[in-house]
Amino acid sequence: MRLANFLLAGVAAGGLAVAAAPASADPIGKGLVMYMQMGGNPGDGATLARQTGAKEAAEALGVDLKSQFSAWAPETMINQFKEAVAAKPNCVEIMGHPGSTAFHDLVKQAVDQGIVVTSGNSPLTDLQNEFGPKGFGYAGVDLYAGGALTAKAMLAQGLKAGDRAMVYGVFSQAERGQSEKGLAETLEKAGLKIDRLEISQEANSDMSLAVPILAAYIQAHPNLKAIGTQHGGATGEMQQVLEKAGKKPGDIVVGGIDLAPSTIDGLKSGAVSATLDQLLYLQGFFPVVQCVMTAKYKMPGLSLNTGAGTVTPKTIDALTKLIDAGIR
Amino acid sequence: MTPACDFASVVRLEGVQKYFGAVQALCDIDLSIGRNEIVGLIGDNGAGKSTLIKVMTGVLEPTSGRIFVREREIQPGEYSVRMAHDLSIETVYQDKSLAEKQPLWRNFFVGRQITNRFGFIDIKRQKEVAQKILIDVIGFRGVGITVDSTVANLSGGERQGIAIGRAMHYNADLIVLDEPTAALGVAEVRKVVEFVRRIKQSGRACIYIEHNLAHVHEVADRLVVLDRGRVVSEIAPKDMTVPELTEYLIALQHNA
Amino acid sequence: MAQRSGASILQRFEALPIIVVFVLLLLLFMNRAPEVFLAPYIYTTFLSTLPPLILLAAGLTFVIGAGEIDLSFPSIIAFSGFIFAVLFKEYDLGWIAVIAGLASGVLVGFLNGVIIAKVGIPSFMTTLGTQFFWAGMATVLSGGKSYALRGADESSVWRWIVGRPFAGLTDIVWLQQLSIQALWTAIIVGFLWLILTRHRFGEHTLFIGDSNDVSRVVGIDVDREKIKIFTLMGFLAASAAIILTLENKNFFGNQGQGYLLTAIASVLIGGTSIFGGQATILGTVFGCFIIGMVEAGLVAAGLTGAWVRTVQGLIFLASIIFYMYADEPQRRRALIANLRSFGRFGGIRTSEEGGVRR
Repeated sequence: MRLANFLLAGVAAGGLAVAAAPASADPIGKGLVMYMQMGGNPGDGATLARQTGAKEAAEALGVDLKSQFSAWAPETMINQFKEAVAAKPNCVEIMGHPGSTAFHDLVKQAVDQGIVVTSGNSPLTDLQNEFGPKGFGYAGVDLYAGGALTAKAMLAQGLKAGDRAMVYGVFSQAERGQSEKGLAETLEKAGLKIDRLEISQEANSDMSLAVPILAAYIQAHPNLKAIGTQHGGATGEMQQVLEKAGKKPGDIVVGGIDLAPSTIDGLKSGAVSATLDQLLYLQGFFPVVQCVMTAKYKMPGLSLNTGAGTVTPKTIDALTKLIDAGIR
Repeated sequence: MTPACDFASVVRLEGVQKYFGAVQALCDIDLSIGRNEIVGLIGDNGAGKSTLIKVMTGVLEPTSGRIFVREREIQPGEYSVRMAHDLSIETVYQDKSLAEKQPLWRNFFVGRQITNRFGFIDIKRQKEVAQKILIDVIGFRGVGITVDSTVANLSGGERQGIAIGRAMHYNADLIVLDEPTAALGVAEVRKVVEFVRRIKQSGRACIYIEHNLAHVHEVADRLVVLDRGRVVSEIAPKDMTVPELTEYLIALQHNA
Repeated sequence: MAQRSGASILQRFEALPIIVVFVLLLLLFMNRAPEVFLAPYIYTTFLSTLPPLILLAAGLTFVIGAGEIDLSFPSIIAFSGFIFAVLFKEYDLGWIAVIAGLASGVLVGFLNGVIIAKVGIPSFMTTLGTQFFWAGMATVLSGGKSYALRGADESSVWRWIVGRPFAGLTDIVWLQQLSIQALWTAIIVGFLWLILTRHRFGEHTLFIGDSNDVSRVVGIDVDREKIKIFTLMGFLAASAAIILTLENKNFFGNQGQGYLLTAIASVLIGGTSIFGGQATILGTVFGCFIIGMVEAGLVAAGLTGAWVRTVQGLIFLASIIFYMYADEPQRRRALIANLRSFGRFGGIRTSEEGGVRR
């Protein structure tokens, strides 16, 4: 008897709640399911702002967002893409690390099935050209240009022809390596002597492993005037690297990318001279928008260059609060 | 198979030396084991008892000397555990004879499985034979142990029984027991001593390494005393009581 | 003396616990994400992505069953994958590239075995060292570059090893997607199961894992068998490398790193004991299914990526604790006795099964 009363009360309360709910307009992305590859590990330097951007876009547009993390391993990204496609969502966002060739057939299958595929952070130019009309867009830096921009900011700090510099990057990955290539070549055009150092897979996943390597390099090259990188995690370690190598901020011109918390410290102390702000938040936000625009309104893929400028010790203070919130 | 009746000793060692690097573990060993006798091998720690056994059963190669099995000489380089098994010499180690996590039917046959041409084990047949060994040879009846039980489920004395039973099943002419009663309780020791008697009753020979003089005194026909790698004496149990034996061994230790 | 049963139900049905866990997880995912798990596509995807993991874990089952460990197989994925990719792409050697790739894995495994068995360095240290060496060799030889195997799906190698046999024959979409490496893997793993449970070599493996000393004493050539085990692992890792490289139509400079912990975890949650002497291929296979399925399932069910590791860790811990209690009757009885005494208000009674000491 008690149970029946209880149930009745519950039903009545539910009915009231439904009747009382104000009529609201549905967000335009309601009902859409999207899989997004975040790249690294949840919360790490180059991933957090993208996670935040994607989440806020999904909430605003009503999209059901499913995030995948791959520790930057290309073969994991491919497997995750297959799993995403098998789940038959409306959209999938991928990154360029595995390369256009590896992705091509898989993307074609997905697009043929009516799934919208778009990209971010690291470009897949061939795929963009082929599937652009079907919604394949890109939200990220023009890698080569971004590297070049960073190099120019470094040169503005007073580097001269004949100075020694080292560029630490992922030269082995075809498209992703364009960033460091742009950086190195721009410095070379200005007459600097460049040493190229490759980031190992272990360091790629866990940058703290690179600290002793870089510190040792600096100590072995006392004439080193500049270090450039386009790896977000590596940039974050630079302040520590300089300390460990016994250098004061400003002894070496450091150019990097992204605004990890430790990079902010580096900018404030002057250890990091310039960092390319690739607006990671937008790299997460925009693909979700692309998804909705193509899935609902059949718009083609759009390209958004998020490498708008560099942040220097002079401009960092204004941004600190936003960075802590995981937005910039 | 060797001819049945024309040898006096099952195993005979002549002038055997064994060096581990610069250390001499065995020195001038001349020892023969008769066909149906229980020989107790006694001596203090480090006397070389284990080493002697390992040389006799093919685990270790002697540095020099000759080994005869049933009066046929064995080339030291060829001698191996498998060959010893083929020559009907079996060893039962205190805690190294059976694999703990494996079932009894595997423990019975490992190293000489019943297989087809490709090496696949005839599991059904092995289990049947194992069951027979369990009941007939070892005499375990209705105690809740089956051929599928793992060795870990057995008590210490039962494990020795299994190991000895395995040796007997393979019709070993010589069974070597390496400290079988160490770490066993009183009732378990009784069982092991009984098993040793069965070995002699079935017409086989046995070498019995033992620390506990009372146990070995009870069953041995002959006691061989080893000290610092040499055979120092051979004693018949009826000639010395256990206390006298103990005194003798202690005196040996005090002599340079 | 207490009653001792011959073989409990756990021993009679191989890998029963992990199969139950797998079924439960599957039902859970079907409930939480029916649009994904009640459709065939996620399963055909698994069939194309799980074979490398399963082959690696099957090899590890033998290695761990023998009481050893192999940490070098990720570097074989890179090294053998490279050998295969470069011969296949640059020199157009087709099936010879396959054989060369397999041979390179066999070589690495054989060297591992020789160092471990003959030189006597423990397997943990040996394979840690060879892991760095061969991964380094792969990077040196490849220049760190990745190789795209463009047009690979035209070749007979691709068609036979990772092809889609039903592609042209049917209109049913999921049938078209069935990949043939699942079949080859099933055959290889089935064969390995037979070896482990019914062949002399499998028995030797378990005895060696149980105790090296006992094995020597009963006449097993421990050194030779260990070399065989590690060589087998090398062969299986190379097979995984070739399947992976062909399926992705790409050789990635650093491929293989992600498999180290997942392969070992799959073996252990499947019921093979890290201490050696007890191994099950069937358990390993279901362990792989679970590890491979968890991430996709959690993502589809809406759990954020951060939870995946946590859930994988929980599954791992729960399995290990479960196996410990299942295998050690004293601990199990002690636990049950403790639970019983909690359930009695005020009455203190010892359980009938009281401590049986040997």
